[in-house]
Amino acid sequence: MNTKYYDVDDIIMEEETVSVIFQKAASGVGIDPSSVMDFIETGSKVELPFWLAHELQMRQAVSVNVPPCFDKKTRLEIQADSAGVDLRSRCPFFYEFGCKIAPIVGDRTIGFLLLSAFKSRYKEILTKAHSVAFAAGSKFWSILTKEEINLYETAQSEMASFKKWRMGGPRFQIASVLGKKRKSAE
Amino acid sequence: MAGQSNHELSLFSAEELEFIAEDEIVDIVPNLKMGPLNFICGDFGPFTPQIVTQVPLWLAIALKKRGKCSIRPPQWMSVEKLSQVLEAERDSQEMSDQLPFHYVEISRLLFDHARDNIPDLYMVRSLIEDIRNVRFHKVETDLEAFNGRTIAVKIKNLSAMEVNIVRPFIGRALQAFYKHDSPELIPDPERVSDRRPQVVNNAPREKTLGDVPGCS
Repeated sequence: MNTKYYDVDDIIMEEETVSVIFQKAASGVGIDPSSVMDFIETGSKVELPFWLAHELQMRQAVSVNVPPCFDKKTRLEIQADSAGVDLRSRCPFFYEFGCKIAPIVGDRTIGFLLLSAFKSRYKEILTKAHSVAFAAGSKFWSILTKEEINLYETAQSEMASFKKWRMGGPRFQIASVLGKKRKSAE
Repeated sequence: MAGQSNHELSLFSAEELEFIAEDEIVDIVPNLKMGPLNFICGDFGPFTPQIVTQVPLWLAIALKKRGKCSIRPPQWMSVEKLSQVLEAERDSQEMSDQLPFHYVEISRLLFDHARDNIPDLYMVRSLIEDIRNVRFHKVETDLEAFNGRTIAVKIKNLSAMEVNIVRPFIGRALQAFYKHDSPELIPDPERVSDRRPQVVNNAPREKTLGDVPGCS
């Protein structure tokens, strides 16, 4: 059973489009907007959402190409300066999508790419999340993927709640019911 | 116990840790005469004016609020001792073991409720703050060493509050590293033609650690 069945992020992630090449001719399907008739010839290249591409690929109807966010250009950029690459604009679910697409396109190198990218970007998140204030960090987090943002926010919220505790303030909050009673008595 | 904190991953909130720290024993000098108190956690007292006795921190604070005692600051809470600790912390990458597990919480409670009993309050407070910052920086340095093969972290003498701050972050980071480094990501030819290959990607979390070397 897929443990992420009800995970909203997982559902959104499966909407990512991938380009596929049809291995079989298909008729009566309007999934290719460029064709005039509802007919897809063998060898035509179509952009499909991941979930559909995956199902068709399992039936050997299509072959899936490597999506552009894992192409050579991105790889080179990640090698050069992984912390500065805007992965969010390329694919907000870079890691999860990578994990899913890797076995389907049969590209072993994607796994290594994900690990090395995450390893070096993790260090950047670690140092920034625990030190930089919310406002100053806003530019940095616009290039993070969903998974990295989760990590970043976890660290920030822990730090914020610790600081709040240290600064003090009202320790005991009066329940709203009690406050009302008092007022009416006066 | 964990229900009070708003974040699903963090086990305790700072307030809950403070509550736990209130069980630490401190020395007080009472100025009232009172028989011994018998609690589930133990017997305390009897209380005689000017005779030092040991009570849990929460009881000390309760008495202090009513002006019935003065709290003796713990031994480590002195300028000389803290300067030594700070020096030691700055010198080595190891965390020093000279401060109690709940030093952050205890110092905050004493600063709040017994500031007139602590000599050199400002100096003590800024020393503790410095020590905390130096130690936290060390934790960050330790965490930078994470990579795909990391399955656990060993940091000695971490205090309760320090570990609580980084706990959710470490948990998530380790989970992510484990996922990306898992040998399952690189598929076998048989698995690809399987009816539901994406199940493979969700498997690693359920696997026990002992299984992993066999798969790679």
